[in-house]
Amino acid sequence: MKDIKIQVNDLSLYYGEKKALKEISMQIPANKVTALIGPSGCGKSTFLRCINRMNDLIPEVKITGEMLVEGVDIYDKNVDVVNIRKKIGMVFQKSNPFPKSIYENIAYGPKINGIKNKTELDEIVETSLRKAAIWEEIKDRLDDSALGLSGGQQQRLCIARTLAVSPDIILMDEPASALDPISTSKIEELVHELKEQYTIIIVTHNMQQAARTSDYTGFFYLGELIEMGKTNAIFTKPERKQTEDYITGRFG
Amino acid sequence: MASHFEIELEKLKNIIEKIGVLAENQVGEAVKALLSEPVSEGKEVKKTENKIDKLDVKIDEICQSIFALQQPVASDLRFIMSAMQISNEIERIGDLAVSIIKKAKNIKDKHDLIVKFSIADLARQVEIVTLKTNECFLTRSENCIGEIFILNNTIKNDCEDAIHNIINEMKINSKAVVSGTNLIIVLKHLERISEHCTNIAEYVYFMINAKIIKHEKFGDKKLDS
Amino acid sequence: MNTAIKETENHFFSNKKKGVDVKGKFIIGITQVAVLLIIAVLFIILGIIIYEGREKFSWEFISSFPTNGMTEGGIFPALIGTFILVIVMSIAAVPFGTITAIYLTEYAKENSKIAAAIRFSIRTLAVVPSIIFGLFGLGFFIQFVGGGIDKTFNAGQLHWGQPNILWASLTMALLTLPVIIVSVEEALKTIPRELREASLALGATKWQTIKNVVLPGSISGIMTGTILAVSRGAGEVAPILFTGAAYYLATLPASLSDQFMNLGYHIYIMATQSSDVEKTMPIQFATTLVLLILTLSLNLVAVIIRSRIRRRAK
Repeated sequence: MKDIKIQVNDLSLYYGEKKALKEISMQIPANKVTALIGPSGCGKSTFLRCINRMNDLIPEVKITGEMLVEGVDIYDKNVDVVNIRKKIGMVFQKSNPFPKSIYENIAYGPKINGIKNKTELDEIVETSLRKAAIWEEIKDRLDDSALGLSGGQQQRLCIARTLAVSPDIILMDEPASALDPISTSKIEELVHELKEQYTIIIVTHNMQQAARTSDYTGFFYLGELIEMGKTNAIFTKPERKQTEDYITGRFG
Repeated sequence: MASHFEIELEKLKNIIEKIGVLAENQVGEAVKALLSEPVSEGKEVKKTENKIDKLDVKIDEICQSIFALQQPVASDLRFIMSAMQISNEIERIGDLAVSIIKKAKNIKDKHDLIVKFSIADLARQVEIVTLKTNECFLTRSENCIGEIFILNNTIKNDCEDAIHNIINEMKINSKAVVSGTNLIIVLKHLERISEHCTNIAEYVYFMINAKIIKHEKFGDKKLDS
Repeated sequence: MNTAIKETENHFFSNKKKGVDVKGKFIIGITQVAVLLIIAVLFIILGIIIYEGREKFSWEFISSFPTNGMTEGGIFPALIGTFILVIVMSIAAVPFGTITAIYLTEYAKENSKIAAAIRFSIRTLAVVPSIIFGLFGLGFFIQFVGGGIDKTFNAGQLHWGQPNILWASLTMALLTLPVIIVSVEEALKTIPRELREASLALGATKWQTIKNVVLPGSISGIMTGTILAVSRGAGEVAPILFTGAAYYLATLPASLSDQFMNLGYHIYIMATQSSDVEKTMPIQFATTLVLLILTLSLNLVAVIIRSRIRRRAK
């Protein structure tokens, strides 16, 4: 791994008394897709939400250890969580467009950042939608409600909305789990294209999806990172038996 | 817009084409070595053989990675299954060609024997079969497959005839035994090459029609299913 | 095919339940009678009011002043007074209630003691008898606040320290606050967590998220709360009894420090203190009819908006 974007050192997370993440240490390379897999409740989503401090919203959560993004610990007191979230975008499991027009959905982030100029906004909206490979489908109905789009389109709209605030890192929490196979493959293809410009971390239930889309894969189990490595290696010759058992579906 | 999976499949196809052309060259060299007096010492041949081996391994790796990561189905699945087998067959064709070149050195009065048992035609036909096989993989044309089967049959019969004649000759003329034995081995190799080409054609057929025909007798092979 | 399935179902059920369920039938019977009774009472009340009030009910009745010692004429000032009352009340109660609701749903921590205290207060406020509000308004707004203002700024001259629209509206606002808070809270809660997270994940602050995502989505909830409060405020008499309602005024109120006439209060005085109760009977019924139409239609609008919110929440 040449360029390390995120360096995690001994990160643990507690829900009250319960330790949900146990001393996670890993390196996430820049401009690659890193997939996090593991059974339900293994902590992969929780870990993902640590990266943009989404867990801050839950009151009884306590986090120890370091989460260095480009060398800066994002849990440092001097770091502004709002800036973190601008730099680290997130796409959720359930597509969640605002009940506004397609245009307003994309312009939401830039507007919050103080961009008011109409031409500038127009440009951001178009490039974001183009990058998310949905511009051609919806360019004629930017003023329609985003809720009228299909599930797959909504999810790509949400990706475009994330791109509009020009993040460095994009977190995806099971972005295709509610979509049909065609929409899923569109999202996967999009992920593959976006990695040229962004560092992508994708949590997925679906091992095949991890295999198809990612360069690196980390396997979580019971709050621990069991194994992390190149996807090709994980899926052809995993080093740990637990990983082998999980990816071959022999999980006991 | 091709998906990145499609791009990967295209890459695999190109490598197989490459290895196919290399094997075809090797067969060409073998035929040349057989039909004319040996000119080169075969450094090129050695190099090509190494290249073929490397590509063969590379194809296996690519196929493994595609199986593990992409879950190919339907025509993609058949293509990758066939790709592994085809590269295997091609690698053997390459080996046989190299072996022919080596054996050809041990045949004395090669020219006379070749003329006597009309082996030149046979060798050229084997060359054609390898050419056709490459073409068949690239174009995936069923006509081509049929032609390969027919050619293979002719080569097989011609080989049997030639070997039969050589054995008769050896019975009479004990001086001819060394050259004759080597020639028989060469003929067997040529026959094997043609056989491997036929196998490749069968995999191509499987790729197109999802029907496995490899153990059917020639006459039963119904290409127009 | 469909009927076949139905038949087997019937067969299945009738087999399972052998004999007649006497107890069940009895309970069903009682509930049916209760429902019929309620509907009957409602229709009787409505029927009498409509029947008795129909003759007097007209545009002229609504748009003219009472005449001849309030034994004739219309109810125009009472209607206008009621409108002014509910408008001033809404201006005071809606922002206040909305802000409280935002605090409770968005900012207060789940186990916060302050939030628990506020919730307890709201619940208590909702069950306090309305006459107590009236007395509170008299004591707090008129005598304490109004009297204080007069003492400090008007050199003790009585201006704010007496019943008027402002104090009546504020008193009414206190009464309707729980209605607004509960409605707005309910609406805020229907905004899915995913939308808030989407906004926060884009780098929005909590307030930006509330302002741009949560509140626009709750507009109809806030409207429902307002309408329900208005309808409640239009019908209540007790809180304004001592704080601003007037027996009779020859002119419409001109400022917040004036007294006003009110529909509910008008009915009350016509029925109890009129010089000729018998003669004003049709006026009483027609006024009641106007008040009923007003509150019922407001409630209907609120129900429609609320059902739309619920449908969206699903």
